[in-house]
Amino acid sequence: MPPAVRSDAHVFAGGVAPPAGTLSNPFAGDRQAAGDGERIFRAMNCDGCHGGGALGWEGPSLVDGRWRYGGGDGEVFHSIYYGRPRGMPAYGGILETDGIWKIVTYLRAQPVPQDVPTEQWTP
Amino acid sequence: MTWQPSTPRAIFSSLDAGVFMRPCRILLLLSLPWAGAQGQGRDDGQWTMPGKNYASTRYSTLTAITAANVARLRPVWSFSTGVLGGHEGQPLVVDGTMYVVTPFPNVLYAFDLAQEGYPLKWKYRPDVSATSVGIACCDAINRGAFYTGGKIVYNLLDGHTVAVDAVTGKELWKTQIADMTRGETTPMAPFVVKDRVIVGPSGGEFGIHGWAKALDLATGRLIWTAYNAGPDSAVLAGAAFKPFYDKGPELALKTWEGDAWQTGGVPVWGWLSYDPELDLLYFGTGNAAPYNAEQRPGDNKWASSVLARRPEDGALVWAYQFTPHENWDYDANAEMILVDLTIQGRLRKTLVHFDKNGFAYTLDRVTGEVLVAEPFTTVTWAKRVDRASGRPVVDTTRLTGASRGNVRDICPSLEGGKTPVAPAAYSPRTGLFYVATNNLCMDFEASAAAHIAGTPYIGASTPYHAGPGGHMGAFIAWDARVGRKVWEIREPYPVWSGSVATAGDVVFYGTLDGWFKAADARSGKVLWKFKVGSGVVGCPITYRGPDGKQYVAIYAGIGGDWFLLSGDVRSDDPADVRPPADFAPNLARHTSQGGIVWIFGL
Ligand code: HEC
Repeated sequence: MPPAVRSDAHVFAGGVAPPAGTLSNPFAGDRQAAGDGERIFRAMNCDGCHGGGALGWEGPSLVDGRWRYGGGDGEVFHSIYYGRPRGMPAYGGILETDGIWKIVTYLRAQPVPQDVPTEQWTP
Repeated sequence: MTWQPSTPRAIFSSLDAGVFMRPCRILLLLSLPWAGAQGQGRDDGQWTMPGKNYASTRYSTLTAITAANVARLRPVWSFSTGVLGGHEGQPLVVDGTMYVVTPFPNVLYAFDLAQEGYPLKWKYRPDVSATSVGIACCDAINRGAFYTGGKIVYNLLDGHTVAVDAVTGKELWKTQIADMTRGETTPMAPFVVKDRVIVGPSGGEFGIHGWAKALDLATGRLIWTAYNAGPDSAVLAGAAFKPFYDKGPELALKTWEGDAWQTGGVPVWGWLSYDPELDLLYFGTGNAAPYNAEQRPGDNKWASSVLARRPEDGALVWAYQFTPHENWDYDANAEMILVDLTIQGRLRKTLVHFDKNGFAYTLDRVTGEVLVAEPFTTVTWAKRVDRASGRPVVDTTRLTGASRGNVRDICPSLEGGKTPVAPAAYSPRTGLFYVATNNLCMDFEASAAAHIAGTPYIGASTPYHAGPGGHMGAFIAWDARVGRKVWEIREPYPVWSGSVATAGDVVFYGTLDGWFKAADARSGKVLWKFKVGSGVVGCPITYRGPDGKQYVAIYAGIGGDWFLLSGDVRSDDPADVRPPADFAPNLARHTSQGGIVWIFGL
């Protein structure tokens, strides 16, 4: 059972951060694990909702460097393990923690596009 | 590896006879109003059901707005729904009130058309599970409501049907019909025949076991369930079942291998029609799952088919499969338009259907016999439809499957030669059908898919490109007696809006880049256009207001598949920034999400 994770992007009332555990990714930066993670991402039908390459489909893009629920290792792990309210299924019941960490490793290994904010049509 | 995708399979033990009503052939000698069914007869100027009438012609006999004066049309009112999802479907107008259902969270608004500014009489805000937003394959859309007997009946995305009192806005009943844990959601508009509310699920991308259900209009109680695939007892194929081309028992079981039918998709998410004289309900079924067709050998009946059922007990009377062993996500959920046409000198009771597979079919709606089947857009997957067998002559080089690698240049794309989202209209004055079409082709690379309940069951990557000519869509006029295009208006983007035809000989449709247009029904000349603020994926209606004047209404609000394909049309979520569609990189230059109801008048 993973410990509770705090989102450090939240505003802390009174300026005081609530106590929280930490989750660290055992595969952080491991390229082979990222490759496994990409395969698991497809095998678990994540791509059916988040699109090929996790570029966004019915579910949000996971490779735009922007996150609804936080992009830290522990926060992404939580999103996958317990699901999220607007239609993200909880995978903790069928995926072992190593598998989830490999997906996290894959997602975090994707390059964040540089010109995200501006889309330009005129020269 | 340590991860083991356990692939739990739904267990279907409920297929014992007790669950399914015996088809009992009671002849109901009710005489129902068939008025305006084909545009003949009296038109009360209202719009009470999605397709205008049971025949789904979307034709109005109102004549105040004509080809001669439509250029003077101007907006008289607009309303932001406050919701950004794709605004498919159409409003209803009954007794001086306009009813609007929004995409998730499925708010129902009732506007008082007799008051200046059309203030609300009431609004109804149901409690809808937000989980449905992720389980719905293709945006959190809704296709509208049905009015009958003082009730507004519609579906909530999370698998419920509700009936609301049309005068007070009070909820009368709410019934769970679908199961999101199996990937079922419910954006379609219910269809009411006599006291039966007919509903069906989406989920062709989630490996559901598709069905249609009938609820009791008075109470919401479930009356019958008819599956679209599986044993005859589940499909309700009994003694009454006489398909024109196929013979023998258990067709919807034997045309699948093993238990593939249990997760074979075959959803019901489109439009329904009814012929009171024949007492037959008609609807199309969706794709077979998964997209990787090698996982489901066989014809996969009754995927991609039209079914004719008795509304009373659901008994199947005939069925015809447009795309046997569907390989390309060619759902057949598009409308079935019921008109009587003279074909080769003989007046026939026909059913006209524009399929995703690119063929327009004119069927005998008594028997299911194919009378005409001709392509209305570029088709490469099949050469023609063989009249003797009713089957398409497939180009085997365009068959897909995980062992076939990347199969190129399949037309139409899986968005369809016409999307079922955009129902056609028929004018008895011109004898023509008015149809929103797409000119998109695709490459199709299939891969093995694992069925995990509540997640997509697909197994394909399918990039699109424009078909011959480079334009991606056209609004066309079609002669279904011979299967011929009469005129077309080319559009830069696929045309995703429904249409309406009127006795003033004008037709209306909208475009993805946000134009609402009126064209001359005879010549196809564009007579008027107005930029409505967001791309149009809804269906226009026309009605007579309490002041006696004719109005035209349409939703703006791009979405549905375009929410997925062209993710840069959304601007509401700073945490979700997507690239444009590679085949339509400029769409977001012309439109953004936003739900607006528009009313136009002279
Ligand atoms: C049924 C569709 C569906 C499937 C399958 C699915 N997701 Fe999601 N996912 C969503 C939706 C919808 C959201 C947005 C949820 C919300 O905002 O509440 C989401 C959110 C997420 C988030 C949080 C994103 C953020 O911005 O904070 C992550 C991470 C994620 N999904 C990863 C995955 C992974 C990994 C898989 C496969 C193991 C997966 N998803 C499978 C639909 C899905």
